[in-house]
Amino acid sequence: MSALLEVKDVVTAYGKIEALKGVSLEVQQGSITCLLGPNGAGKTTLMMSTAGILRPRSGSIQFAGAEIAGAAPHAIVARGIALVPENRLVFPGMTVTENLRAGAYQRADKAEIEAHIERMFARFAPLKARATQLGGTLSGGEQQMLSVARALMSRPRLLLMDEPSLGLAPLIVDEIFRIIAELNKDGTTIFLVEQNAHMALKVANHFYLIEQGKVTFSGDPGSLAEDEVIRRAYLGSARA
Amino acid sequence: MFDFIQAVLDGILFGTIYSLIGIGFTLVFGVMHKINMAYAAASIGAAYIGLVSASAMKAASAWVVFGCSLVAGGVLGFLVYLICFHLIPLRNENATLMSTVGMLLLADELISHATTGAPQNYPATLEDVMFRFGEMSMRGDLVVVFGVSVVCTAALLLLLYRTRLGLATRAVAQQPIAAQLCGMRVAQVNTLTFVITGVLGGIAGALICSAVGSLSILLTGPLTVKGLIVTVIGGLGSVPGAIVAGLLVGGLENVFQHFRGVTERDMYVMLLLFAFLIFRPGGIFAKGQGRD
Ligand SMILES: Nc1ncnc2c1ncn2[C@@H]1O[C@H](COP(=O)(O)OP(=O)(O)OP(=O)(O)O)[C@@H](O)[C@H]1O
Ligand SMILES: [Mg+2]
Repeated sequence: MSALLEVKDVVTAYGKIEALKGVSLEVQQGSITCLLGPNGAGKTTLMMSTAGILRPRSGSIQFAGAEIAGAAPHAIVARGIALVPENRLVFPGMTVTENLRAGAYQRADKAEIEAHIERMFARFAPLKARATQLGGTLSGGEQQMLSVARALMSRPRLLLMDEPSLGLAPLIVDEIFRIIAELNKDGTTIFLVEQNAHMALKVANHFYLIEQGKVTFSGDPGSLAEDEVIRRAYLGSARA
Repeated sequence: MFDFIQAVLDGILFGTIYSLIGIGFTLVFGVMHKINMAYAAASIGAAYIGLVSASAMKAASAWVVFGCSLVAGGVLGFLVYLICFHLIPLRNENATLMSTVGMLLLADELISHATTGAPQNYPATLEDVMFRFGEMSMRGDLVVVFGVSVVCTAALLLLLYRTRLGLATRAVAQQPIAAQLCGMRVAQVNTLTFVITGVLGGIAGALICSAVGSLSILLTGPLTVKGLIVTVIGGLGSVPGAIVAGLLVGGLENVFQHFRGVTERDMYVMLLLFAFLIFRPGGIFAKGQGRD
């Protein structure tokens, strides 16, 4: 395996406050890599920095060998990275189908896009019945599915997911994780942020723990340190 | 009674121009959450440039003037964007707002200077034509105003709801971060929004001058005010709202004028604004908010 995404010494700040204080990690091609950490650790900041919404102050982010730190979001999407953002961010006033078309914005293959939308409806069955319903009127779980499906419409090589299980009922969470495993089996590399460490570690090949803007631990699920990592992911070491 | 219906009808026909101007304000607000105070003044400016360039081409027919105004409107829209929303940092809310107010006054000064303050004759479309239906009649030029406005509005709606650019415009308006994550370029959408609303403004400006028969800076103030009122009544950011509000303001304005005379008319229009701000601050179609 080789690294598809290589993050090195990334510092990202909001004004004077550094949310990432030199983060380094790797996501191997074909893997499900999981980023765990307590609230405010900097997980979303790292996702947004990788997707180009936030500009790192320093450090490097390499994707498939090319430097993407500081590149514009549209250029990063064009290279094959898609982010399922925290809180889903579906387009509330657009229909489900339009949301999916928006995800395919950079593609020109019109006929294939429509066929792809049909395949999304087959994979995310609850969305099909709601094809003409506005995004803002969907339930939380449906919005999450829509957000994942929208990201997939750009045919990414790397799918970033920021807390896809947030606020969902256990049954829906199971469903989301089933989809994650399935996508990965189909060849999409996945970099997943989760607070639901138990679920995440079941599907992940590798994990990192981030605390207060720094990676403090990394390892493989099943290793001896797992319990300690889970505890710290929930509580944060400072408060433990 | 017929006079009354006639007044309402004329008002609604003319109201389509208010709809156009309202759409210009509301679309920019929807996409950028900024008010472009210079919009109506730039529209009259475009109508002036249209007039001058058409006469330079020795083609003073109203339709050529409209075409030139349309192009000038797009160019002015781009310039306003460049100066007020690109060179001036967007993050500073007050700076961008003040810059558009400055631009409004500058446009006024430029028109005033270019015309040496004198009203300019503006070509009419169907000057002496009257369409009659029994006791009712419709001024030909108002019918043209109505027809052109409806065509422009329809074209805009098609653009917004049937094209890739329209999809991006709505996406940026509804959820700019997600729009970027879909690979859309916010700056590009913003620029095109200004060009497109500028084109609409150029046409609206030329229509008004043509319906009034002359162009002068006395038009910019009232048009700015009416445009803003339509935008608020329609609900900031709502294109369908602006369309309906334009017709409403146009119609009611003539009703007020019919009963209370032209000097009192705009007082009631202002009171209408306050009535909306108090009872329906979200506008006619105060739309339901999506989750999250
Ligand atoms: N827009 C912002 N302005 C200022 N500080 C911010 C901003 N967004 C995040 N922060 C700060 O940066 C730090 C990291 O935030 P981030 O959202 O990346 O955490 P997170 O790990 O995703 O947390 P959570 O699990 O709650 O989503 C926090 O201390 C937060 O307060
Ligand atoms: Mg977060």
